[in-house]
Amino acid sequence: MKQLIPEFENMRKRFPAGFESSLVLPCLRRIQQERGFVADSDIAELTAYLGVPRIQIEEVLSFYTQLRRKPIGRWHLQMCHNVSCSMRGAEPLLAHVQKRLGIRPGETTPDGRFTLSTAECLGSCGTAPMMMVNETYHENLTREAIDALLEGLE
Amino acid sequence: MPGRQLIMSFPVTTTSHTLAEYRKRGGYGALEKALKEMKPSDVTKEVSAAGVQGRGGAAFPMGRKWQVVVPDDGQTHYLIANADEGEPGTFKDRWILENAPHLLLESMLIACYALNVRNCFVYIRGEFDLPYRRLSAAVEEAYEAGYFGEGILDTDLACDIVVYRGAGAYVAGEASGLLASLEGKKSYPRNRPPRLTVRGLYQQPTVVNNVETLSNIAWIINNGAEAFKAVGTPKSPGTRLFSVSGHINRPGVYEVELGYPWMKFLNEDCGGVLDGRDLKCVVPGGVSSHVLTGAEIASLNLSHEALWDAGSTLGSGGTIVIAEGTCMVSLLQVILRFYHHESCGQCTPCRHGTGWMHRIIDRIVAGQGRPEDIDTLYYISKFNDGTTICGLGDAAGYACVGILNKFRDEFEYYIEHKRSRLNGNLECLKSS
Amino acid sequence: MPEIFINGQAIEADAGQTVLQVALANGHFIPYFCWHPQLSVAGNCRVCLVEVEGRGIDIACNMPVTDGMKVFTDSEDVKSHRKAILQFITLNHPVDCGICDKAGECTLQDYHYTYNGEPSLSSDEKVRTTKFYNLSNRILLDNERCILCLRCTRFTHEISKSMALGVERRGDVANIRPVENKPLSEDPYSDNIIDICPVGALLSRQFLHKSRVWYLEPTPSVCPGCSRGCSINIWHRKPEWFLKALDPKQNTSIERITPLENPAVNGPWICNKGRDLARIFERARADEAMSRGQPVGPSAAIDEARRLIGAARRPVALISNWGSNEELDAFKTHLGEVFHAFVKRDWQRQEGEPVEDDLLIRADKNPNTTKARELFGDTEAALGEGTDLVLIWGEGFDFSQLPPRARVIFLNSYLAPENGHADVFIPISVQTERSGHYTNSDGVVSAFERCFAKKESVFDAAVLFKALAAPARGHP
Repeated sequence: MKQLIPEFENMRKRFPAGFESSLVLPCLRRIQQERGFVADSDIAELTAYLGVPRIQIEEVLSFYTQLRRKPIGRWHLQMCHNVSCSMRGAEPLLAHVQKRLGIRPGETTPDGRFTLSTAECLGSCGTAPMMMVNETYHENLTREAIDALLEGLE
Repeated sequence: MPGRQLIMSFPVTTTSHTLAEYRKRGGYGALEKALKEMKPSDVTKEVSAAGVQGRGGAAFPMGRKWQVVVPDDGQTHYLIANADEGEPGTFKDRWILENAPHLLLESMLIACYALNVRNCFVYIRGEFDLPYRRLSAAVEEAYEAGYFGEGILDTDLACDIVVYRGAGAYVAGEASGLLASLEGKKSYPRNRPPRLTVRGLYQQPTVVNNVETLSNIAWIINNGAEAFKAVGTPKSPGTRLFSVSGHINRPGVYEVELGYPWMKFLNEDCGGVLDGRDLKCVVPGGVSSHVLTGAEIASLNLSHEALWDAGSTLGSGGTIVIAEGTCMVSLLQVILRFYHHESCGQCTPCRHGTGWMHRIIDRIVAGQGRPEDIDTLYYISKFNDGTTICGLGDAAGYACVGILNKFRDEFEYYIEHKRSRLNGNLECLKSS
Repeated sequence: MPEIFINGQAIEADAGQTVLQVALANGHFIPYFCWHPQLSVAGNCRVCLVEVEGRGIDIACNMPVTDGMKVFTDSEDVKSHRKAILQFITLNHPVDCGICDKAGECTLQDYHYTYNGEPSLSSDEKVRTTKFYNLSNRILLDNERCILCLRCTRFTHEISKSMALGVERRGDVANIRPVENKPLSEDPYSDNIIDICPVGALLSRQFLHKSRVWYLEPTPSVCPGCSRGCSINIWHRKPEWFLKALDPKQNTSIERITPLENPAVNGPWICNKGRDLARIFERARADEAMSRGQPVGPSAAIDEARRLIGAARRPVALISNWGSNEELDAFKTHLGEVFHAFVKRDWQRQEGEPVEDDLLIRADKNPNTTKARELFGDTEAALGEGTDLVLIWGEGFDFSQLPPRARVIFLNSYLAPENGHADVFIPISVQTERSGHYTNSDGVVSAFERCFAKKESVFDAAVLFKALAAPARGHP
């Protein structure tokens, strides 16, 4: 985490004084961006750097859907299965992805390439069905579009 | 065009979100007018007079919220734009963040001037990556142009903004849950009193407004409260952005002048129900609003009062169109699964109630429903109504009761016959 | 001064109070789990719902009083809501009272019978989670019984400030968990969460499955662990529940120790040392008088002691700062003129024991230094030239410091090798075997009461001092 401290210092300057606690979420996001997940050592270092109670960081890591303490595959396929997406064919597409990759939601392919998750509403209902791959939205999905997408992800 | 356009009033291009294009459209003129020609109290008066209702879900008038904050009480005030858009069916704040970020920023600056806010925030849900990058770029442009920082437009106004990313929690869209998250903690909402406008972010007076609600400010300052009230209806002034999705030919974000007839909107502006099917029902304002059948909305217009009279609400403006042939039992299963996943777990009725409802609907869908299940769902919904710390528990109940009230027969059939009368169908399958 | 109405009764309240506080103070009970007078308002259990005329149903613990408000704590609406809240709380609760130590003093049990009394409306499987979580070497956590009132986490954040507990995950799979890098046992106040837990989710390991609480009774006492002198309850078997068939020692043992609320001293808390007093009081006891290691009868021992006292030219007494006010007064009265008396420090801080903090713990690990010094001064003991008799009262004296030719009278409650070195050894009673008072370091006097009978052969020090003051047989 040490190499991120200059960035964290810049972040800190953007916030008003006394907002150290607020830095927990952005710092964890940045740490996860680097490492792929948040390690135990990161928790200890961030606790020391921010001066917040360590339990606060542990709680945050387990509360929010996007934060994780274990590595996952290179490509995180987060398929929305909420109302509008379900109404525009999300379930058959999810089944297709499961069959093609041989994994169920929550699992990672043995080669470490793909992790599959279901997601709740991602605010893209107008272009349903859709999924988020790492940070990017892929909308108006069809089987063909998904196949092309997966082929292109190393 | 479903009425006059105040926000979506320009063609979207690859550059229409930039500062240069925004200025060409007259952008930051309202800020100039507010800072140079109006006192902060004038701004608050104008915004209150316009009567803008909250467009995040609760429809609480923005001016009334602002009036609790006393600008010169010597306390530190905060303003936060709620961009945690998570209500299923809703994606209109995203439109503003991606296509009109400067509209939001200009409006926030005017609000900061009115409320004596030195530091403001946009809390944006963690999954909104493109909107975040667009907004962040707009913030950089705005700083460079001197719209943020010190001595804004050569006045005494100083204002800084931080765009704060969430990390995946629907409950962080609730104003006090948002504050907990912005304070770097798990998103547990707070009991009121005290109101957030009295003790909010780090216990300071804080105004939390929805992105779209705030984005009306620039137009109001430019054109005046009276002009704003002349748009829409007396009880629902202005326009609202509707997110239309589901079984509809042209899903997307539409700006609708309030009072516009609903069927005209669906059939003409949105292209009608997918594949020419009949309309079964509509979720008007995000899944937390009561469904209304096709018959019920046939003569309604899109306004707060029309929907309140019909026993529902405009809510977040997330309109989900549901065609005949859709199994409402399966649909409710998706909805209850969502609430169970998102309950923060802090208070008793929601923590246990959302899980209980989910387990019941799962059982019904699996063909193991029992006759008393419907009554139990009503029971759980009733005792989540008004008993919880925040509206998530209530919302789960409203969604459930709304569907049960209108489609009880489908549930009774499913329980009795251990299968859906409509094959569990959620998609709009082509009629054979 | 706002005037409010609760169930029709007009009550003068203080501005700034909540409806719950006013109701409880005026005989209108409103049930609550998560509220605690010493902790911040959480408002999460939702069982304190009341009805306010014109406003509907809301929780009372976070409801400010307003002039003229009309509150109803038992309307039909309130009753049905309360019942439903209890249905929700017990939805996933294991209801394993049959094997739960909390039975008999469990708020959930009590409220269920008072306010619900009906079986669950659910026919679905309960959500299962961890049942024997090793929270610390002192506390067992059962997450299934936990109702997430968050009293325990608030305690560690607001009172003990160890920040040791939090909530992992969300919804109905959320669990209380300890912070990962420091054991909860490092928090010297950890066991208070056992008391404030309204259900059987947090259990004392040392008390685990030892006894049903309705077989026990509490006796008010004072913790001798430091000069704070916290008020405690010592729990032991009720006489009518004495076990006949088993080892009789079980009938006179300390089953557990809990705080006794005392606003003047410790509030509702004690530190963990106070919970472990059995380790002190139940050490092997001396019950026989001895003369140079040989058992003698009590009167023979007293006689010899009198002779030694009568013959001494410079008798020195080392006073126990574990003596009660009464015992110290008795020594002063009967033997104060006879001995050069110095106050001894019976107990030192043990390895790893906290020194002192802002909450309760004091550096002086003895209960009655204040009274002892008041009577005998605070000079260091001088066992100087000419000391030919040393009366050692209580523990903590290093016998190697004795002047070589001095005779020794030793009064001690516990078995110790030194007992046999004394010219006269007389066993004395411990705190739990008599009533008395201690004066703490703030000058507050607190009472402790007798829990157990002492053996016949053991003396109460106060009685002993009077006896020792009488001249020896055959002496004027």
